[in-house]
Amino acid sequence: MNKKSGDKGGTGLRAPTSLFLRKQSLDTALKELGIISMSKQYLSRGSADNAHIVDIFSLAITDKQILSTSGASSIKVHSTTDADFPLVQSIDGAHTIGCHHIVTNGNGSRAITAGFDGEIKAWSCQDGHWTADRKLTADLTGADAWAIAISEDGQYLAGVTQEGRINVWDLSADGTRIRDHETKGNFGTCIDLSPDGRLIASGHEDGAVYIFSTETGRMPFSLLGLVNPVRAVAFSPRSKILAAAGDSKVIALYDTSSGEQIANLSGHSAWILSLSWSDTGEYLLSSSFDGKVKVWSMETKACVATHSETDKAVWSAKWLPKVGKTEGFATAGANRSIAFYREATG
Amino acid sequence: MAEPIIDNLEIDDGRDPSVQEFIDNTLAALIHELSRSPAEANISITLKRRASPVACIINPTTGALEASPRIDTYRKYSWPGKTAHEAWKFTVILRILAILDQAIRTGQLISKRDIYYIDPEFFRMQCIVDRIVDDLAYTIGVNRTSLNVEAAAKGLVTGEFRLIRGSHILIDAQSATEDSLIPRIEDGDEIDISRVRWVLVIEKEAVFHRLARISYHTRALAGEGIMVTGKGYPDFMTRTFLRAMSDSACNQSRRPPRFYALTDGDPHGMAIMSTYKYGSAAHLHQNARLSIPRLQWLGLRVSDIIAVPEVLGDTALLSLTMRDRKKITAMLRNSPVWASDGPEPEWRAELQRMLVLNLKAEIEILYGCQGGLEGWINRRMFRQE
Repeated sequence: MNKKSGDKGGTGLRAPTSLFLRKQSLDTALKELGIISMSKQYLSRGSADNAHIVDIFSLAITDKQILSTSGASSIKVHSTTDADFPLVQSIDGAHTIGCHHIVTNGNGSRAITAGFDGEIKAWSCQDGHWTADRKLTADLTGADAWAIAISEDGQYLAGVTQEGRINVWDLSADGTRIRDHETKGNFGTCIDLSPDGRLIASGHEDGAVYIFSTETGRMPFSLLGLVNPVRAVAFSPRSKILAAAGDSKVIALYDTSSGEQIANLSGHSAWILSLSWSDTGEYLLSSSFDGKVKVWSMETKACVATHSETDKAVWSAKWLPKVGKTEGFATAGANRSIAFYREATG
Repeated sequence: MAEPIIDNLEIDDGRDPSVQEFIDNTLAALIHELSRSPAEANISITLKRRASPVACIINPTTGALEASPRIDTYRKYSWPGKTAHEAWKFTVILRILAILDQAIRTGQLISKRDIYYIDPEFFRMQCIVDRIVDDLAYTIGVNRTSLNVEAAAKGLVTGEFRLIRGSHILIDAQSATEDSLIPRIEDGDEIDISRVRWVLVIEKEAVFHRLARISYHTRALAGEGIMVTGKGYPDFMTRTFLRAMSDSACNQSRRPPRFYALTDGDPHGMAIMSTYKYGSAAHLHQNARLSIPRLQWLGLRVSDIIAVPEVLGDTALLSLTMRDRKKITAMLRNSPVWASDGPEPEWRAELQRMLVLNLKAEIEILYGCQGGLEGWINRRMFRQE
């Protein structure tokens, strides 16, 4: 078990939660009366400019670092604990023709990357320094996946192929493939594993969203997908909600126990490329092709902040670990830089 | 930094026997061998072969895709050889040499197609003739025209230019004239394009005709221009013509015309643009004198289309096929044009965005946008000014 996920749903939060709820209903009342604004403010806290020479396609977060991959061949590692987000490591030549996906496990000891060359590679971290995990990379030779997701504990890797096939590999058993699910054969653009490890969700080019139970390997129910290509799927921290979004420009929220659609969040005016849940599940972050980044409140199902630092595609947006009580996030994409934001306090 | 590049062509040109000499020497050597006893005779022709695409680089001085040094391979064709196939190949080479010999002696121009049709049954396939002619040119160290082999004209041009040969004007193309076949450029020819502001290289013939029909080259916001199409992957004549125009632009000190490429937003469109700008991987030895380093990318980018979906509808975009995806991966992996430290990071990024979005876009999509294709080109040229 890693302690991050324990914190989220653990009993330690019970008392504050009820307090929080009371405060929230007060907030809601005040909002309805127009006394306080519904919006939240996130301030730019700097950026790693031109971190890569071409589009940054993927970000992965650990407790102290942010890893980024791009159309260039290296993986860049920036520290998120220092105020100016310095580059702490560059893994050069990781994927010769670029890398489109990077994922890390909960405690940040393992990263998996998927390159444009079709290769899946494993990396391990000790004391903040990353090295190639040659053994695991060799074990994963021939593993076919476009989009990938890793379990919180780092044991399972899930991937969806260009033909829409979903695979799961057990990384603590020499990368053995333990699951192989068929879908309708449409390009798999995105995948996520629920934090409780019970579900896998994949999004496809034809708008379909599939959910599989990791235990039975079956679909507990079919989801009403989207009309246009889905480009991001993400489970909430307590695995209760699945968010899916893409070219339809809306974010669909599904109840993972029933498969029913709970809400549609609309407000983006361009294709949505990535989704990320805040630690507590209170907020959902989304980024789009026109450079906009939005924060959505789960309580009000409304957009509470919009950022548009660039007019170029933001391929990836991710929440950062909390610093004290304030939350922050990082964004990256076609402008080649990683931008950092923190909630305005006080 | 790249190691210094030795230009094979120029070295060869310096100490190179003439084509006629090569042919004579080859034939004389064969006759000599034939006169020896069969046991001792070494009846063979050795050809220098072009580099495989993996081993090519962008020459920083010429800005062209070229073979990296020291990678020439030689292939020896013997007669009667080890197999019937080798014997046949040997006779094909000999036969082509004889045809070229005659063409050069009589001063006639001949196309690869002509050669093939002299005896299609014997040559079996057009590509066999093409390959041998190219290998012969490469072995001798000359370009194909020195063998009196010319490609059949394929490209089209419209717009105002003058072709000057010697001291007289050979062609005086007026902007009002219909599109015409691209003229053959000979050594020493000069092209005067001082009246135009831009040259637009168009991948597709249909798009070229659409723009020619409305005389876009006289009505563009950017001023008078010239439009050229090579109908897909360009042939030598189209590239030679464009290069001559580009050289002419180089000599124009004041506001030289801009050169733009308009291709589909798909792997073939990108590869075609690369062929114009840097050259083709199949004819590395020709690229230094055919590349157009000044060529700018006008479009079409996939993001151009995503940006205006309201007008176009999402149906305007096409999914990549598995073949498209394989082609893109091969381009990224094999060509220095798209290398991570290569000259075109934007091109590299575009191919990768196509892979990530699994999308491509055809130029025809722009017919439906605001102001049509013309309006789009006007805006885009203005932005790149």
